[in-house]
Amino acid sequence: MTACAPLAVPMVAVQQSSQPAYDSGEALAKGTLFPGLDLPFMDYVATGGAENGPQAELMALDFVLQELALYLDTHPEDTEAFKTWKNFVSLAEKGRKRYVELYGPVTRRETAGCRSWVWTEDPWPWDNGGKAGKS
Amino acid sequence: MFVYEKKLQYPVRIKNPDPAMAKFIITQYGGPDGELSASLRYLSQRYSMPYPELKATLTDIGVEELGHLEMIGAIVHQLTRNMTIEQVKAAGFQEYFVDHTAGVYAQAAAGWPFNAASFAVKGDVIADLTEDMGAEQKARATYDNILRMADDPDVIDVIRFLREREVVHFQRFGEAMELATARMDRRNVYAVNPAFDKTAGR
Repeated sequence: MTACAPLAVPMVAVQQSSQPAYDSGEALAKGTLFPGLDLPFMDYVATGGAENGPQAELMALDFVLQELALYLDTHPEDTEAFKTWKNFVSLAEKGRKRYVELYGPVTRRETAGCRSWVWTEDPWPWDNGGKAGKS
Repeated sequence: MFVYEKKLQYPVRIKNPDPAMAKFIITQYGGPDGELSASLRYLSQRYSMPYPELKATLTDIGVEELGHLEMIGAIVHQLTRNMTIEQVKAAGFQEYFVDHTAGVYAQAAAGWPFNAASFAVKGDVIADLTEDMGAEQKARATYDNILRMADDPDVIDVIRFLREREVVHFQRFGEAMELATARMDRRNVYAVNPAFDKTAGR
């Protein structure tokens, strides 16, 4: 603790870097991109996340974006993390395109690339985790 | 403005009905430390927050919590969608069933409907951020308790994911606290409330 740390203020150590980081699939499975924040309860470790395919890929890349966004919100000056963010945005956009072609739109606007109003089509996400997860 | 994405943040695929488990997991939908409470807390605290990084943090975490609300709704739905009346009775699920059938209703495990008193908006930077850090810990502890009682691997895996998100959010609110107090008078951070005393702490 530094000598000038104020009293009576809650303090959490500030994360120093967006590295090291898990790869996107592992990040989604663990629930965090950052090994330093990976603090599981008892021996509950990821059992899912071994899934493949466009939906798992889309979820994993979108999850990395969420993790990087929350990191950047409190570290807006971190240029390295912002560079990583930009790379993942472009990866996620490609992944989303593949997913939409196979399973249909994720956002309403994406129906513009479809032959008809397929927005209403089952399954919805709570049915079984989405189209690719249909069992 | 919000735009809906027709997907979950993390897959929820529960094969077997289990109303006994739905009975307590519902608390993370509408209970005191649940995801509805979390999303409304952060999305409501944003308006009086004076610092841009904190407006962003509250917005981005608040929106993620709405995604978690949807995941909890999906869990409760999948645990109850194919249940039989025999399972309802065996699980002691009759009270919920008679009011809501197999619908998803925002209530606590003990049956209380969602109550906005489960979260606070104080309009004070340090008070609100301290509440947020406490809220993440309470939600984390609730998920710990759910993990202690859950026995279906399909459920455990999703709950484990949601619990880890609370740990990450706690870290970000801790950093937000640091960002906020760094702009205040370090000799006395309580001299003013920068969310109200507009000339201070900018």
